[in-house]
Amino acid sequence: MPILELRKLTKRFGNLIALREFDLDINQGELIGVIGPNGSGKTTLFNLISGYYRRFEGEIVYKGKRISGLRPDQIARQGIARVFQSYMLYEDTSVLENTTRCCYLRCETNSWQSFFNTSRYRKEEVNQRAEAEELLQPVGLAELRDSLAGKLPYGYCRLLGVAMALATNPTLLLLDEPMAGISHDEKGLVINLIKKLRDQGITVMLVEHDVKAVVDICPRLVVLDFGRKIADGRPEEVTTDGKVIEAYLGVEQG
Amino acid sequence: MKKVIPPAVGLVLALCFPLVTTDPFILSLLIEAGVWAIAVMGFVAILRTGEFSLGQAAFMAIGGYASALVTINLGIPFWFGLVFAGIMAALVALALGVVVLRLGGIYFAIVTLVFGEIVRIVALNWQGLTRGATGLTPSAPSTIHIGSITIDFIASKVPFYYLIVLLVLVAAVVFWRVDRSRLGRTFRSIASNETLAEHMGIHLMKYKVIIFVIAGFFTGIAGAFFCHFTLFMGPTTFDVWDSIMILIMGIVGGTSSVVLGPIIGALVLSAGGAYLTSALMVGMKPLVYGIIVIVVVVLLPGGLVDLGRYISRAPRISSLQGVKRHKKRGN
Repeated sequence: MPILELRKLTKRFGNLIALREFDLDINQGELIGVIGPNGSGKTTLFNLISGYYRRFEGEIVYKGKRISGLRPDQIARQGIARVFQSYMLYEDTSVLENTTRCCYLRCETNSWQSFFNTSRYRKEEVNQRAEAEELLQPVGLAELRDSLAGKLPYGYCRLLGVAMALATNPTLLLLDEPMAGISHDEKGLVINLIKKLRDQGITVMLVEHDVKAVVDICPRLVVLDFGRKIADGRPEEVTTDGKVIEAYLGVEQG
Repeated sequence: MKKVIPPAVGLVLALCFPLVTTDPFILSLLIEAGVWAIAVMGFVAILRTGEFSLGQAAFMAIGGYASALVTINLGIPFWFGLVFAGIMAALVALALGVVVLRLGGIYFAIVTLVFGEIVRIVALNWQGLTRGATGLTPSAPSTIHIGSITIDFIASKVPFYYLIVLLVLVAAVVFWRVDRSRLGRTFRSIASNETLAEHMGIHLMKYKVIIFVIAGFFTGIAGAFFCHFTLFMGPTTFDVWDSIMILIMGIVGGTSSVVLGPIIGALVLSAGGAYLTSALMVGMKPLVYGIIVIVVVVLLPGGLVDLGRYISRAPRISSLQGVKRHKKRGN
């Protein structure tokens, strides 16, 4: 059974149809890239899956459970984590604190124990801090753990976003344009990171503009154009598909 | 350990103060400041989640009326009236919060402002219950005899003073503890970036309502205490301007601190302001308050709590830190 099933997803903003009858099945452990020209509905797709938009037509089923219309925090608890494109951090606190707070999703002590500062709560705090530190290692932010998140350069912000998403121990990771705004050298880092995630068994769905990078790492590509899926398959097939070329480059005139 | 010393010293000073003077005027000022300190703590606690409640005085009114009515009409002792007041205010906060915190932002602020007015109008017109503008006259707690010790609330203001110190202490411990715990960090996450917090598993409404209710509880108790102290409860005892004063006290004290800031703000504006204006002409009160606010906002945007940092040259806090946030605008 596929881990994520999207059935006839349609999202309208007044007269604008951002997503039209979008169907997709993703299997556990897949690494799938969603590409398409600007405005094709890629971010809208993520907004529907992560619960940012809760009113839409169609169904989203995750691990056999209907999650369409749930709140983002409920969807996060199901095991879906999202890494945002723009600055989505707790800017006024440290890198380590940012990551630690994302571990709270999995905490076992309740608010009363936290209020009364019980020994079990304190132990959990220590553990979660240690976990957060460990999470900073693979993204290379371990040394910057006490830096203010708001002052991080853009590339590091993105990496922190990944660490934070992983802190929630997700089974599905939504990566929003991981290659956007990062330098050529950092791109290699990100690609390795994505591959490592896949090796850990996490299902990864990414939305991306940089078709070249995506073609190299994703075994499966889905192409969106004006909210409609126009291709779904291996990179070689998809990039030579006439409809896809037309969507990006337009039709030859004359 | 070091951090406990200043508050402990402050507490000792507060407890010893009546040994220095039992001047009823000065004690009254401090008692009133204590009442406002609790209300401002509630306001700041709500602010920690990024929401401005401009209706906290309404909860003081609800607490005041709840306690007054129950002690006058049902003969219930003052102490139970106080708790009842807190519970009633908390329930109203729950009902209001569940509906209105969804709106967030400016809409929430406006609704809380209007709510204050609604409470006043209801109190004014529900003559059968509240006796309208005539108001209610609750009595002071009855004298307590413990062995050879007599605690007389009518003969002297000192027992009221110690009671408010105790209430401020309890509220301070609760609000401080909440702020330091995971709950507090969750609130700060919400204030900092709502969308991110939500995607990281935080149920926004649950936490906003929780703190709104806790703040309502203590604010209701503060209101009840006040009306048994002044022996009067009317529709204008706590009005819109009091809600705004709570906001101002919060800012002057410093919103980066959940306990010390509110206490300082209440002391300076309530006790300090009243003391200054009693020495000057009556009409000077708004002027004095205005000057204090302007001086603080211009020179010490982080509030008077920042003065300590200024002296120790630690980095200063920008105004309303933690309040700027990323609001979700999904649908």
